[in-house]
This record gives sequence, C-alpha cells and structure tokens, in this order.
Amino acid sequence: MAAVFRLSSVCHRGVKPLFYRSTLLGRPLALPLKDQESPYLLSARIHASQNLDAASGSTAASLHWTGERVVSLWLLALLPAGYFLPGAVVDYSLAAALTLHGHWGIGQVLTDYVHGDTKIKMANAGLFLLSTVTFAGLCYFNYNDVGICKAWF
Amino acid sequence: MVSSRQTHSILVLPSESCSKMSIAVLSSLGRCGFLAFRSPVGLVAVRHAQTAAAPAAEPRIKKFQVYRWDPDTPGDKPRMQTYDIDLNTCGPMVLDALIKIKNEMDSTLTFRRSCREGICGSCAMNIGGGNTLACLNKIDTNTSKPTKIYPLPHMYVVKDLVPDMSNFYAQYKSIEPFLKRKDESKEGQEQYTQSVDDRQKLDGLYECILCACCSTSCPSYWWNGDKYLGPAVLMQAYRWMIDSRDEFTEERLSKLQDPFSLYRCHTIMNCTKTCPKGLNPGKAIAEIKKMMAMYKDKKTATA
Repeated sequence: MAAVFRLSSVCHRGVKPLFYRSTLLGRPLALPLKDQESPYLLSARIHASQNLDAASGSTAASLHWTGERVVSLWLLALLPAGYFLPGAVVDYSLAAALTLHGHWGIGQVLTDYVHGDTKIKMANAGLFLLSTVTFAGLCYFNYNDVGICKAWF
Repeated sequence: MVSSRQTHSILVLPSESCSKMSIAVLSSLGRCGFLAFRSPVGLVAVRHAQTAAAPAAEPRIKKFQVYRWDPDTPGDKPRMQTYDIDLNTCGPMVLDALIKIKNEMDSTLTFRRSCREGICGSCAMNIGGGNTLACLNKIDTNTSKPTKIYPLPHMYVVKDLVPDMSNFYAQYKSIEPFLKRKDESKEGQEQYTQSVDDRQKLDGLYECILCACCSTSCPSYWWNGDKYLGPAVLMQAYRWMIDSRDEFTEERLSKLQDPFSLYRCHTIMNCTKTCPKGLNPGKAIAEIKKMMAMYKDKKTATA
C-alpha cells in the first residue's frame, strides 16, 4: 500500500523530474590510464569464436559421447551375462568393455585437469600404455586362468 | 472521487506499521465514507502502541563477514571484514544488509545491485557458501553464526564483491543468442509466428537473467572456464536451438563439436541446485547432448 502511495505521488509530479536527475548518471569522462591497461581484460585471452556458418563439419566429439554411452550400457548388460552365461565370449567382452570404459573415463579426467600441450600428450600416452597393459593382462588371465566370469561371480 | 483518494492516502500511511489494520481500512473504504472517517482514530492508537513497544525489542546483532579487496591500494591483500548489523533495523534480505553497510557504516564497500527483486541479476554473489542473488536471499536470523559473503567463486575480482564478467559475456556472445534465418530477404516484413506448443518449449529457458550463479558454481567451469561454455551459456544455446523460428539448429549444434565447449559437463548439477530463478541448466545441457547424438550434419548428410 505504501508503494502505491509513493507511486501516486510520482504520478502527481509527473515522470519528467525523474529524467532530469542527471547527477545520478555521472560517469567519469576520462578513465585513468591504469584502468585501461589493467591485467584483467579477459576478453583478450578468450578463444575467438568463429561464425556459425564456419563451424567444423566433424562429429567426432558427439560420436565419442555416444560411444561412451554404448560401452556403459554394454558393460551393464555384461554383468548379468557373466553371472548366467559364463564363458569365453563374455570373458573377452568384459575385458574389452572394462578397458575401454576405464580408458575413456580416465581420459575425461585428464582432459578436465591436465592443462598444457606437452603435459596432456604425456598423460594421454601414459593412459594408453596403462589401458594396453590392462587389456593384455585381462586377456592373459582369460587365456591362461579361469577367466573373469569365474573369478568374479 | 478526489476526496476518496485523499482519505485513502491518509489512511494508508499508518498501515505501513500494521498490515492487518490496512485490510480493515480497505474494507471500510469499500463500504462507505462514514466508516473511513472513523477508522483513523483507532489506527493512531495502534501506531502509538507500536512505537511505544519498539524500544523494548532486544537488538539482534548479526555479524556479516564480507570479502574485501581494493585494487587501488598497492599491495592490498584480500581480507574478510566483519560488520555488525541490528536485524531489527535492517530489511529482510542480504542485499538490504549490504546497502545498509554501504549507507551507514562503510561507503567503500563495493558491490553490484540494481533491481533488488531478482530481475536484473546484478547482485549475484556467494552467500553462506552458495551462489545466489543477494536480493532474493533472506538473512539467516540465527545471530550466533556470521553470514559470510564472497564474490562469485573462481572469477577475477575487480573490487570487493564485483567479479569480472568479460569472459562470461564473451561466451554468451559466441553462441549468437538471437534469431537466425536462412533467408534474410523477407526480414522485417512479417512477424514469425509460433504455435502455442512451440512457445511452451521456451518456458524455463528464456527466464534466465545471466547472473552467472550457475556457471560459477560448476567445477568444470572453474577448471576450464576459458574453453567450456558453462551452464548458463549452454542453456541459452539450447534455447535458440529449439526455437521453432530459428533455422540454424544444425550449425549451432555442430559448433559445439569439440571436447570442451559442451562435453566438459559431467552432470554435476551444481548449476540446477544453485539457480536463484529455479531453472534447470543441467537438463538443458543433457538435452543438447541428446540432440548432438541425433542430428544429421548437413555436410555429412549431403555427401
């Protein structure tokens, strides 16, 4: 109610006085030189974005995302399969799915946290080595031992 | 008519202190002028009773710890400054407290504010550990705990509670947040109509005020804010993708085809949790990811 009253008082005086309070809009005409050179002009460091028309035609990123979902679902299906139908097929499928799932998962973590060209290259090389050894180890276990299914379930 | 308006304004003034009374006054106004003449007597009595009771109220001193940093003081280090405010003499929102500090205690305190009603998004800051708008955030009346106020996390600070939004705005600009048509020859001749259903798809998206609460609450945006667009900008990208009048959906989607722009989102959902407008940027990003998996790229489709 008070607001209504104040509003009505503005209406009586008219709107014009509101626009004449130019002192409220005061801005320094000349900025000090220090501000213009300030280090926090981030826009200079932002990757210039290209026009929409010039977008790249590659669908690699979205295919990778789809692949991740497919592998996750595949892995989810393999768990009951390993329990009910243990065998060589499920053993090697599990070895591949687990390795790929882990490889892509850790890959995301590296992309998140490892910054710098050489560092990310080294990290990815290390990850590739790790995944290769994992897959080879699981295959070795499947071939020479009881296999993942029997060992787990 | 004029005389009734005058009685109205006379009656309304005391109602500031007693809302129940103002309802009574309104109903009496509606009935006849006679009652309206009688009621001010009762109101004055109530008003006196209230002003008499006011000094007896215990002062409720609440501590506000505010992040301070002044770039103009050479060698100044960021610090927390504590202000004591009596909640009895302060408005209900954190922004009221900040304005009170600036008006009455420390005019050097710097923060952005404009509309004070959650429309402009200027007063976004980190209050009590969560990003929110100071104008929509009620002061915690538990006076035993101080309220801590920081600028938006992981942003460059210009001064005190003012973050540098250049990167955020540049990213918003990069998604071209406006209607784009293939055929521009008919531009401005006719309005582009939209079905009710198509319009409804934009609800929950267009309300975003770009306060950056969500983006600055996102860990992925903290670590990769230069290349990851962040929830606020992605939600606006989605808003234009699904606009039935926009003809650049594929182009908008294919522009996100890199590991960073979109795919740094790991569905942490801090964005949705913190949004002071109750929107759901996390869901919008998930929808983009689905669209990314489905859409036919023009170049690959024709090849």
